[in-house]
Amino acid sequence: MPNLQLRNVDKFYGGVHAVKDVSLEVPEGEFIVLVGPSGCGKSTLLRSIAGLEEISSGDIALGGRSIVDLPPRDRNIAMVFQSYALYPYLTVYENIAFGLRARKFSDGDIERQVKWASEMLAIGDYLQRYPRELSGGQRQRVAIGRAIVREADLFLLDEPLSNLDAKLRDGMREEIKRLHKQLKKTFIYVTHDQIEAMTLAERIVLLRDGIVEQQGAPLELFERPKNLFVAGFLGSPSMNFIEVELEEGGAALRLPDGQSLAWTGSLTLAPENGEFIWGVRPEHFSVASGESSDLEALIEVVQPTGSRTFGSFSLAGTHVVAELDARTEVAADRKIALNVDMERTACFDKLTGEAF
Amino acid sequence: MSQSTSIGRALDDERAFKYLLIAPAVFVILLIGLYPFIKLILTSFQNITMFDDDRSFNGFIHYARLFGDDRLWESLLHTAAFTAAALPIEILLGYLLALLFLDPMPLKRLFVAVILLPTVISPIVAGSTWRLMFDHRFGPINQIIAFLAGEEVKLLWTVDPFLVWPAILVAEVWQWTPFMFLILLAALSNVDREQLESAQIDGASWLMTFRKIVLPAITPVLFVAVLIRALDLVRLFDVIWTMTGGGPGTRTETISIYAYQMAFREFEISYSSAIAFLVIFALTALVIFALRRVEIAR
Repeated sequence: MPNLQLRNVDKFYGGVHAVKDVSLEVPEGEFIVLVGPSGCGKSTLLRSIAGLEEISSGDIALGGRSIVDLPPRDRNIAMVFQSYALYPYLTVYENIAFGLRARKFSDGDIERQVKWASEMLAIGDYLQRYPRELSGGQRQRVAIGRAIVREADLFLLDEPLSNLDAKLRDGMREEIKRLHKQLKKTFIYVTHDQIEAMTLAERIVLLRDGIVEQQGAPLELFERPKNLFVAGFLGSPSMNFIEVELEEGGAALRLPDGQSLAWTGSLTLAPENGEFIWGVRPEHFSVASGESSDLEALIEVVQPTGSRTFGSFSLAGTHVVAELDARTEVAADRKIALNVDMERTACFDKLTGEAF
Repeated sequence: MSQSTSIGRALDDERAFKYLLIAPAVFVILLIGLYPFIKLILTSFQNITMFDDDRSFNGFIHYARLFGDDRLWESLLHTAAFTAAALPIEILLGYLLALLFLDPMPLKRLFVAVILLPTVISPIVAGSTWRLMFDHRFGPINQIIAFLAGEEVKLLWTVDPFLVWPAILVAEVWQWTPFMFLILLAALSNVDREQLESAQIDGASWLMTFRKIVLPAITPVLFVAVLIRALDLVRLFDVIWTMTGGGPGTRTETISIYAYQMAFREFEISYSSAIAFLVIFALTALVIFALRRVEIAR
């Protein structure tokens, strides 16, 4: 089974440079998620792999063989669309069988394959219904069923969960992951949702403006973001960015509101004039229990979610969110003492946004 | 008790007021729709011609005469055959044109507007123009054929029994294909793009995609368009009237032209009323049958 290679892929829409010199190597069986804000080129990239868009330059190879000149039907790929794109005038059975019929499978093979897929996705009871008679979640399953019945080399999923409500989305996310485990095929999954990216991916490819900003394992990107964009995109609530100044000698940090705290962070190479952007995730904060604390904050808004509680405060105009223990008694407009897990925070260059 | 009757009276008043409001509209509809229809039926049972003032009723004589009237059946055959020929050509050409315009292109709106021009021309004007176009001495059609053939041609398009129908067909298709084009363009633009892409990835052939996805999606719209055009074609009059007047002889006489001839050339008012009623009856049956089919399909 082949692996997928993208070499220097460019895509222009008229004057718009949608995908800029993207190279990517996807080993067989990997679950890779293309993620980024809307307009970052992730869908274009996926559609180019599918053959629904022609690339302007570069090469796409599957198993070492270039597929750019092949029409979609000859690329042996399967795709799940955001709208599901079920055929409305065909039953669920015929929807799933469509690709097999197009490839002239025998009726017996078709029946066996459809049965296998529908059992795997628990839609066996709906085979004689029409798509309009199904709920959103069921339609989603049919769309996936249609993709998996053919023995495709590559599964492309274009925002498959974005039309589902939040609860269904959580369930389907897990099912897609399970499906990948069972099928052992290469999955390329496009989403703008960083939670989907974090939870599903074996490898995340984070795109912005047609450029790969960073790629790697989800936790690697989360813990060691290459720049401010990556750091801000992954994580919810997102990372707090605080402009700080390293005091003479590098022993203490001065916060924008004048507080200073002892610096034990990993920053060794001090930037010139000591100013940098300090990236602190909400969960890096904790309520100080003993005598010593790193900083004091006047909590303005408290958002309890049940499992955890978010408290917002500001440091001289910089808005900061801290994740607090759900059982902490925090009320709005009260001062609390916080500790910071210095080792896990990140430091970014003030001018370039790159991580130190 | 007294309260409920007063409520009942209030409701009656309200209902009466509603009827009062729609009364003028109902009156106009009855006046221009129902009255002529009843008058038509009455006339068809009378003995009215324009030669005398005899208005006596004579029962079903005119309807009996319909069955033995070869010219009538011939004109019905012309009508049916022409409809059967023109409609598929208009659908096919309209579909192909619509396919051309599905993808974005520069000046698309302008081109669509230009293509639609024939339909906004009055059929009388179109017919007259096409008669000039087909004129055997001065018409550009013969001149173009002559130019291509390299020798002089004198094809009698509006006179030759074998050429009149093709000439009328050209005029009619020219004028009404744009209508099919516009409706099919709208219908085809609404076919879901992701479904088509999905079919592409599934490996469906052009024919399979058309049969399983495109055709079912455009069928309701196509059906209405076909119905409208079929009714138009069944009562086709003006283009033929201006091009050939129904001739040579009765060669291009449709049912509408025959009814007109009967009423205003032969002055057989009552008999032409019977013909008109036959046509109305047939068309109504056709429409009801067609609408049934749509409901069943649903």
